[in-house]
Order: sequence, then C-alpha cells, then structure tokens
Amino acid sequence: MRIFFATDIHGSEVCWRKFLNSAAFYQADLVVLGGDVTGKMMIPVVAHNGYWQVTVRGETLRLETRQELEAVQLKIRNSGSYPAIVTPDELKNLSEEEGAVDRRFSVEMLASLDRWLDMADGKLKGGDIPCILNGGNDDIWEIDDVIESSPCVSFAEGKALELDGFHLVSMGWTNPTPWDTFREAPEADLRQKIDALAAMVPDMERAIFNFHAPPYGTGLDDAPALDDTLRPMHGGAVMKAVGSTAVRDSILEYQPMLSVHGHIHESRGIKKMGRTLAINPGSVYGDGVLQGAVLELNAKKGKVGKYLLVNG
Amino acid sequence: MATEAIGGETPTLFLRKATGLVRGWSVRDSIIYAALATNFVTLGLYEFTFAGPAFPKGQFITAVIISGVWVSFLVIAYAGLVVTIPRAGGDYVWQSRILGSGVGFVLAATGWWFILWLWAPIYGNILSVQLFQPLWATLKWTWPGGGAAWFGTSNGIFIVTLITIALAGLLVSLGMSGYARIQKWCFLGGMIGFAVVVVLLLANSHASFISSFNLEGQKLFGVKNAYSATNAAAAKAGYTTSPLGFGPLGPTMLLVPAMMFFILWPNWGATLYGEIRGASDFRRVFTGMFAGLWITVACTVLCLLLIAKTVGWDFYQNLNALDYNLTPTFGIWPYPFLFAGWLVHNTVFQVALILVLSLWFFGWVGTLFLSSTRVIFAAAFDRVLPDRAAEVSEKRKVPVYSLILMLLPAAGLAAVYAYSTTFRTYTLDATLVIAVTYLGSAIAVVILPWRKPDLWRASPASRIKIFGVQIVPVAGIITIALLVFNLYEWLSNKLYFVNSRDSLIYMGAMYVLAIVVFVSARIIRNRQGIDLSLINKEIPVE
Repeated sequence: MRIFFATDIHGSEVCWRKFLNSAAFYQADLVVLGGDVTGKMMIPVVAHNGYWQVTVRGETLRLETRQELEAVQLKIRNSGSYPAIVTPDELKNLSEEEGAVDRRFSVEMLASLDRWLDMADGKLKGGDIPCILNGGNDDIWEIDDVIESSPCVSFAEGKALELDGFHLVSMGWTNPTPWDTFREAPEADLRQKIDALAAMVPDMERAIFNFHAPPYGTGLDDAPALDDTLRPMHGGAVMKAVGSTAVRDSILEYQPMLSVHGHIHESRGIKKMGRTLAINPGSVYGDGVLQGAVLELNAKKGKVGKYLLVNG
Repeated sequence: MATEAIGGETPTLFLRKATGLVRGWSVRDSIIYAALATNFVTLGLYEFTFAGPAFPKGQFITAVIISGVWVSFLVIAYAGLVVTIPRAGGDYVWQSRILGSGVGFVLAATGWWFILWLWAPIYGNILSVQLFQPLWATLKWTWPGGGAAWFGTSNGIFIVTLITIALAGLLVSLGMSGYARIQKWCFLGGMIGFAVVVVLLLANSHASFISSFNLEGQKLFGVKNAYSATNAAAAKAGYTTSPLGFGPLGPTMLLVPAMMFFILWPNWGATLYGEIRGASDFRRVFTGMFAGLWITVACTVLCLLLIAKTVGWDFYQNLNALDYNLTPTFGIWPYPFLFAGWLVHNTVFQVALILVLSLWFFGWVGTLFLSSTRVIFAAAFDRVLPDRAAEVSEKRKVPVYSLILMLLPAAGLAAVYAYSTTFRTYTLDATLVIAVTYLGSAIAVVILPWRKPDLWRASPASRIKIFGVQIVPVAGIITIALLVFNLYEWLSNKLYFVNSRDSLIYMGAMYVLAIVVFVSARIIRNRQGIDLSLINKEIPVE
C-alpha cells in the first residue's frame, strides 16, 4: 500500500488543492493530512462605495472590479490567510470590540474548510480514494464536527482506523508551547491519551502512529531557540529540541512500524527509532509548496518498504 | 483565542495566537555573524601577505572598496533568496528548487561540503601564524624544536590543523547554543583588541615604530636593525611596491579576486535562516549582511591607513614580499598586529594583545563544519546520501556520520596541505569553488521570476523596486558579473596560483565526485524502486 502523508498546511488553499491531487500524482492508495489545517492570519478587505481596499504584504491595493477582488482573495487564500470582506464600520468594530476578531476568525476558518471539503468531494471521487484528516494544536475545536460530517474524508482524531491490514491511530495534541494553543496537554496527559490509542491496536508491527507532536530530541523537533519575548536567539542559528517526551517514550516502548509527525515545520527529517521509522515531512505552506512523504508499506513483512520526502 | 492586530489604527492584518509566530531575530546578531564571516583579521590580513607581493601596482583601499560595493549586490541577491525561500539549507534548497536537484546537489556539495575540507588546513595555518607563532615568539618558548618557527614547518602546520579540526568538530558536537553566546563575546573582545591596535598605531609615529621594531626584533629574534634589514632584503629580491593611494584601476582590479578571500562571505549565515517570521523582512535580512560587510570594509580601510601611517606602507609590503618568497624577516609570518604590540615594551601586554586578537579566530572557527553538516543532512533526507549520514547519536545528539564525512577527509587533506608546499598555494581554490556555488544561486535569483512566478510574486523581494525596476534580479545579474570576472581572473592569471594543472585537477575532482555521488544515488535508488526525480516535481494545482 502506498501512502502520501503531508501536514501543517495552515490554511494554504494551493497546498490543499495539491493535497487533493497528490493521490493521483504519487499513485497513492491513501492520503493523510496531519493536523494544523487552519490558517493563522486574517486580512481585512474593506468594502467602500464602488471599490475594495486591502493591504497584502505591505502593499495597499484598490480593487475596482469583482474580478480584481477575486484574484486578490485567491492570492490571500493561497498564502494561508483568510480574506475577510468588511465594511469600514465592521473593521472598526473588529479592532475595538472584545472577542470580535475571534468570532470572525472562526467564521472564516469554518467557511473555508467547508469549501475545501466540497472540493475534496470532486477530487477524491466521492470517497473512492481514502483521505484522512485530523486536527493539530493550532486548530480550533469547531473544525472537528465539520470534518466529521464530510462524506469523503475521515476524521481520525482519537481513533484507530483499519487500513488494509494496517492500523492508524491519530492524535493532534502536543506538549505545551509558548503560544498556549488549543490542543496542548502536559506530557503525562499525552502519555495517557497515547496509551488509550495504543490499546486499540491489535498488532503493533502493523501500526502507524499519526501524532502531530514529533518525538523529543530526535532531530524531527528542532526549532529556533526563543527568548522570553519570542524572539529567536543568536541570529536564529541555535536550534533546540521542542518535541514531546511522551511521544518519544511511547514510540520506543510500543515500536509501531511507522510514526508520522508535523508541528515543527523547519524540522523536516527521518529518524529510525528501534524498528520504528519516524518521519516529519516539514511544511513550507507559505511558499505554496506541499512537502510530504511518499511511503510504501509492506503488508507481508509489516514494515515500511520505501520512503521519500518530496516537495510537491 | 488570543489575537493581535497589525497596522496601527486601521488594522491591515489580524494574527491569532498560533505556533511558530515569533518576532524577528536581532539585526545585531546578524551583523556580528556577517562581520565575523568576512573576518578582516584572520582572513584579510592573511590574504594581504599574498596579494601585495603578487600585485605590487594594485591599490589596496580602492580594491577593498570596489569589492565591498560589488559584494553589496550579492547581499541584495541573497537577501532576495532568503525572504523568498526562507529555509535552512540555503543554496542547496534554492538551487534544488529553482535549477533542479542535480545542479543543486553538485554545487552545494562542492561549495558547502567538499571544499570545506581545504578550509580546515587554511584555518589551521591561520591559527598557527596568528596565535601560536606570535605567542611562542613573545614568550621565547623553544619547545618544540625551533620554537615559534616550528609552527610554520610541515609538522607544525599539520598538528595545528588537527587541533583546529578537532576544535571545530567538538563545537559542532556540543551544539551551537553555547558557542553562539561565545561568538558575541569573541566579536566584542576582538573589536576591543583591534581598538587597542588602532590607538597604538594612531598614538605612535613612524620613527617610534622603527625603533620598537628594531628593539623587539633583536630581543625576541636576535635580528639586528631588523627594519633596514627587511628593506634591504626586499630590494635585493627585486621587489618594489607602489605607495598607498588611488593609482591606476587596471592593476587594482586584479586585487579584487584576491580580496574575495575575505569579503565574499557576508551571506555565510544564509544557510542558517529557517522559517522565522523575521526572515520575511527583506530590510532586516539585508541590513544584517550589509552592515556586517561594511563594518569589515571600514575596519580594513582604517587598518590599512594606520599601517601606512605608522608602520610604513613600503615596509609593510616588503615584509609581505619576503614572506611570499619564503624568506620572512623573523622566520615567522609577518603579523602586523604583533608588530603594533611591540610599541609597548611589556611582555604581559604583548601576550594579552595576541590572545585578545585571537578571538577573531575562535569566534569563527566553530562554524567551519556547521553548514556542511546541514547540507549532508538535507542530501540524506532527499535520499541522495545514505540515511545514516543524517543520523544523530542518541545520547549526546552528535551528528556522528556527517562529522566523519567532514573530519576524515579534512584530516587527510591537512596532511597533503602541510607536507606539500605546492598544494599550500592552492589557497584561493577554497574561494573559487564556493564562488561557483554562489554563481548557481545568483543565476537562480535572476531566473526565479520566470521559473517560479507565483513564488516570486508572493515574495517581499518582488516589491523592492527603484524607478519601477525590481532590484533583486538586477542585483543577481551584477553578482553574476562579479563572480564571472573573478572566475575568469582566477582561472586565467597564474598569479592567483589557481590555474595550475594540479590545482585544476583537484577542483575538477570535487565536481566529478559530486556528480558520481548524485548519479550513483539515482541508479541505486532506482533499483530500490525509489524515484529521486519525484523529490522536487510539483504537484499540479488544478
């Protein structure tokens, strides 16, 4: 069985489109998107009388026609941001009213995800090509129900999915970060969640761990060391392991066949941990490039036959 | 959900709190990194010993300024690449993505890996001549046999190079965290040392320098009237120099390829930029490299002016000419800062000055293998190298195999360098091969708007314009001109000691080795059913 795994596309529409095409492109039998599906930025497009105004990457644009508006919206979506069309009053309200930005962010994220899942229906032949999604620490809770209700993708969070003789268990939770995001938990709690998932797996030799957090200290979790103000130290030259010890210890203890991760975009790599092949394909969603891993699983031997990190 | 509005009273962007959204790194750190990379003490002074005698009619200050201006365009081109594809791995990532996997591997492997084997003995030699030789001479230590001069012998160079390799390997093994902190202190200490030299050369006259030089020369080396003896020996060897000033441009331009030995590296940190929000800020990235480069240019010009004022330009060049002819006045490399220290007749002061100035070396030597290990890792993850090349030891997180791929060949080459005086003259090979790698990146930045139009349009670099013209691709073209000019001179003019048959074979062998590794990987992986051509093939969007 050939799997394509990608992760952390953070709202990039071009990466989502590429992900939907990845099964055909890499001749994969199954595509898996690790967590952090949603974006981090929202760009207000201010509707005035007869035109729209928007600032994209420092450049202020006046859009006279709907075609121009659509082109800029696509550009914003492709970069992983959400274009939010607002009136000047709404923009003022967003700036001043407590919680208004949060609410608008949620609306835009869910609307975007809905559109994405509609696209998936056509591309994945109405569910003929299995497609698995789960949340990541940056994803709001509301996306779970939206993905769960889609007919053409499977929501994997907290489940053990049987895939042609292999078992995939998924967890979007991570160890605590300096940003205090949604799905974070102390290491001891992560370990409990992992143990509960592992209990659902009948055969570890054919198990795949799909955990958003990479294992600690494996080179799959190196991020720039930050100071107290979240500024990279020493010119960004110093990297530090920031992965999860619970994920590391559970991999070493359970020894699944394969373990796929994300979360730390700059730490693309492969690590052999005992019999387990651990992979973080990294992410460069902002460039519109879909990084991923093409993995061939050998059902007979219960091991990963071939693997390749790609920049699609 | 916590959010942040950006854009003042009328927000133009809302950020929600999410992993990885960090503030930009300190520009000061980038400046220090670039200034240490274009190290005018370890690399600059070392190169001047060769450049002056080889091109006696060339004007140093003009050449340094022309080089600084020209390399500034390289800084713009690299800043454009950094903000467009802000990835750790630098040239390897950019060239693989824009020019193709094969070109990317061959140019990155040769420029960031294989040629660093040669930089190891060069650095070892610099450690010999800027620390061990002056220290031993000042303290009049006679062990090992020959005292200070022993460090200039084949055995001396070999042993010190092994120490350098071990030191660089150890620093990579320990991790950059502690070392990065040390680098800042080294830069500060090194600048203080240079400031002391500046004060000494400013406060003393040429006459007092002659008297100090003669006094210390006799005391430490037993050479009588060393000043006159130096001038007489140079004249006897037929060497004449031009006074420091602004002479004809032609001979001065011939100095530019020599100046590249230290001025070409303000972008050395480019391979370290990862996915950090600040990396998307063109001005910030540019400022770091540009300011570092021009600190070097300013310090070099100041240093040259003060040498001319107090040491005497003709005399300084005579010292260099004798070393160039392998007959140095005192039997050791003519280190101008050692001679500046002689203006104070106090051994403790002289030793302290040598040690403080050696911080220019120690602040930079740790990065010798750092970029190489990153390129080896990237190639291993791309399955071009065996997976083992990217392995890190469980306990101490040491990149064992990538270090072996660096240390063993470097040690082997150190022996060749130390015991073959001919090979030692191939110093500029180390610059040439990296310049070829830079050429690949300069071509990449020029064709980027056509090869990856979406990526380019989304890049902040595409919005840097003068009179409506995008300056990053233009800077790329000017960088290509700089590199082609230098490559032409290095390969056509025998005075750079690069275009001899053996030197060309040595450099050619590196490219052949890189091609063999890449082609073998393709064949082996194909047999394993792994298609390496998929690595950078873009998935269709529609």
